[in-house]
Amino acid sequence: MTQHLLSLLIALPLAGALAVAFTRREAESLQKALGIAVSGLGFLLSLLLVSGFRDVASLQFVENVDWIPNWGIRYFVGIDGLSLWLVVLASFLTPLALLGSWTQIHARVREFVVFMLLLEAGMIGVFVAQDLFLFYVFWEAMLVPMYFLIGIWGYERRVYAAVKFFLYTFAGSVLMLVAFLVLYRTTGMGSLSIPELARTPVDPALQTWLFLGCALAFAIKVPMWPFHTWLPDAHVEAPTAGSVILAAVLLKMGGYGFLRIAIPLFPDAARRFAPWIGALAVIGILYGALVSLVQPDLKKLVAYSSVSHLGFVMLGIASFTTIGLVGAVYQMLNHGISTGALFFLVGMLYERRHTRLISEFGGLRAVVPWYFATFLLISLSSIAVPGFNGFVGEFLILLGAWPVDPRLVVLAAIGVVLAAGYVLWMVKRVFYGEVAKAENRGMRDLSARESFVLVPLVALALLMGVASPLFTRRIEPAADALVRQVHLHTAAAATRAARAAAPADAAGVRR
Amino acid sequence: MSGTVDLQPAYPAILVAVTAVAVLLTQAFAGKGRTAPFSALSLAGLAAALLSLVLLERAPGAVMGGALTADRFSLFLQVVILAVAALAVLFSPQYLRSLRLERGEYYALLLFSAVGMMGLVSSLELVSIFVALEIMSIALYGLAGMPRARPASQESALKYFITGSFSSAFLLYGIALLYGVCGTTSVEEIARKLPLTTGPASLMAVLGTALLLVGFGFKVASVPFHMWAPDVYEGAPTPVTAFMAAGVKVAAFGALLRVFDAALPSLADRWQPIVAWLAIATMVVGNLAALAQSGLKRMLAYSSIAHAGYLLTALVAAPRIAGEAMLYYLVAYAAVNLGAFGVISALSRDGREPLTYRDLAGLAQRRPALAAALALYMVSLTGIPATAGFVGKFYVFTAAVTGNWVALAIVGVSMSVVSAYYYLGVVVSMYMRDPDGEDTWAAVSPASAFALAVTAGVTVVFGIWPTPVLNLAREAARSLL
Repeated sequence: MTQHLLSLLIALPLAGALAVAFTRREAESLQKALGIAVSGLGFLLSLLLVSGFRDVASLQFVENVDWIPNWGIRYFVGIDGLSLWLVVLASFLTPLALLGSWTQIHARVREFVVFMLLLEAGMIGVFVAQDLFLFYVFWEAMLVPMYFLIGIWGYERRVYAAVKFFLYTFAGSVLMLVAFLVLYRTTGMGSLSIPELARTPVDPALQTWLFLGCALAFAIKVPMWPFHTWLPDAHVEAPTAGSVILAAVLLKMGGYGFLRIAIPLFPDAARRFAPWIGALAVIGILYGALVSLVQPDLKKLVAYSSVSHLGFVMLGIASFTTIGLVGAVYQMLNHGISTGALFFLVGMLYERRHTRLISEFGGLRAVVPWYFATFLLISLSSIAVPGFNGFVGEFLILLGAWPVDPRLVVLAAIGVVLAAGYVLWMVKRVFYGEVAKAENRGMRDLSARESFVLVPLVALALLMGVASPLFTRRIEPAADALVRQVHLHTAAAATRAARAAAPADAAGVRR
Repeated sequence: MSGTVDLQPAYPAILVAVTAVAVLLTQAFAGKGRTAPFSALSLAGLAAALLSLVLLERAPGAVMGGALTADRFSLFLQVVILAVAALAVLFSPQYLRSLRLERGEYYALLLFSAVGMMGLVSSLELVSIFVALEIMSIALYGLAGMPRARPASQESALKYFITGSFSSAFLLYGIALLYGVCGTTSVEEIARKLPLTTGPASLMAVLGTALLLVGFGFKVASVPFHMWAPDVYEGAPTPVTAFMAAGVKVAAFGALLRVFDAALPSLADRWQPIVAWLAIATMVVGNLAALAQSGLKRMLAYSSIAHAGYLLTALVAAPRIAGEAMLYYLVAYAAVNLGAFGVISALSRDGREPLTYRDLAGLAQRRPALAAALALYMVSLTGIPATAGFVGKFYVFTAAVTGNWVALAIVGVSMSVVSAYYYLGVVVSMYMRDPDGEDTWAAVSPASAFALAVTAGVTVVFGIWPTPVLNLAREAARSLL
């Protein structure tokens, strides 16, 4: 079974979606339960990936068969250390998101579950695809369920946010498609296999354009400053499950895209643009943090904090050091867990009070102690307190980036401080002080279902903080291989350039 | 030429024409005001024609007197045209009932028009192309104006007639000039003689090519010859619009491809840049104008203009891959457009049909399957993966990049983004707006439901497993060169 495990992980939610689509409209509990069961089973299967994974750089669980032979397009899936945990993350969060929205989604439950399962299939597909065409198919197809999730079950400005989300990401991706096509034609191999293309040198001048085409798509998805404007709208208007998946998994596709496609395929250009990416990343860190500081709305605050956190991820990627890359991948997971949990928590609060304004709360510490405890732990994880997962990620990133450009690291460290500022200040205003509003007095604490959603996330945040090698040793070989490949490649390009120059010099001397 | 003429290549078209006459006679014998199973009869005729095409496939390359051919290219497109006609016939009874217009003439005209389309894609010679084009068009003028009581339909028919005749004149003039240069109207002969011309004659050839381009430009509704399309599409009975949008494009692009790729490759340096600019203008104007529409049929009309731009992009690209790309794109495009107009037609009742985005509000809650189908067509038109529309665009833009027309590909994908906005508008209405008022639309007839299921199936299956169609398209395109 393990040789088809990845396909199974994609097919299972698809089959589940189909099954749910044919249930009776009124059977809402059945639909929810079916969705949770299917995605839960998917998560259990994804654990087989972890247990069967060998800590080497090569692709594993590979399936590679002809798909559209006319164009040399293959159904080629496989995972390495860069994608393993992201696949697990996606299959871990989908059942939680479904469970977390059990009482939030009342209308059109059937469609909701169908779209969530389709989304899961698309996300896993993006992380396992090793053929550019297949990657693009999942990358784009996944927009559609997310668009529906925001547009149907979102808040007041949902339609605007959904359309903006779709157009922004679609606009970014189409140029990536052109880049793929140009690459496909210029290499002349008639293949879109990512590992094969990564071994083929591409003319550096052309690389620049192709890299920019891909980088735009990924930068919008990350989102990197200044391409982030779709994110606050989408996050804030999406229903809780949508925000969770959007923040925890969808944004990771941007960083992952850089690691899987933009960098290995166009290493020279990637190296050339690294300082720019690093600079934009740091601007994002600071900008996201500063904007978060002044948000009156909890959900917006969490949304802007994502811009800041993902700046760290991009800084790690731009460092082109093994430590930095490992940190970047790790930080993606951390952000998935802590921000995912924060969106759950904010959603639960909204369900109780139908508002997300910080000023509406205060003194909740005494009213909902368990909720408070969870919120605090997740906040600590989010601001990278040692002992929590966030610390490991940010530390590795800063460590990796230091030898490249200490100035960036210093500025990014200011972002860490600011993060502590906006999160703790928010915690203070929501949980401490007097219970000012009468409505807040009777607020109920976490239900068993809600605890069931949150406890695994808190546990993971702690586990990943104290036992990070469990995770990083799976990431490291692949990250290391990528770094080596890039450096080797640029070295080779330099040698080629030198050789090309040498005969001319020799001729000049002779003359 | 020997005394006997091999009629084989014309059999399928003859069968359709005979069916059309039979339908007319049935109407005559049924008497005024009586209805008969016209649609069943038409479908039977189309099925027979399809069967004859399958049989013809065993005798590839048969030629009828140098005028009609049964090469793989013509077989491929004739199958598409028959399918388009059959689906249009399936949509018709419900719509005609809604208009109280169940008459045999409608089906007869539709079949005659299909005969013209079939001739258009199998013609090896410019005069027969012209004759086929006229057969197709004249029947369509009648079809567009069929609901005589509706002013919009009258306008539609008249406009289509006038611009259609106008464009025919251009085409004829172009044919005349080419004949003047080469002394022949045969595609093969022209291809052979054209490279040998020099001096003023070659200028005449260029002028003739330009006029041909104008004539075809009108038929495929490419900018700047597109003005008629929105009014005609809007006013014509919706199944006829579906038939026009899908069938005319398939037939006219088929003929265009044959003439330009097989007869005029020696002038490619001259016409390629012009077609490239036409493609750009068509994509840009079509998509931007579609953005501004509030009417569904008008939006789909501009969308079909935009798609003519994508198809022209394929024409510009590298010759061999261009044919394949265009053929595949035509299949994907035809299925989706039939489906989209089919949904509108399937909902029509008592002369009313959903005309604006607003009319579709909340459709997803009332008619989940229908809404899902229409959403699928919109997604395919946008070019989102896992649909035939995406594979088609991928193919077309690959062709453009292969021919070193990267700029065309960039304009194309950028315009796809623009198009996403108005296609999503339909989805927004259906899924994200609440329904207002009662559901007064018609229950979808089994025939329409079947036709919609077929188009949706084609859209999904060809989007995920395009290989068989790609192979057929490749063989078809090869037979052209």
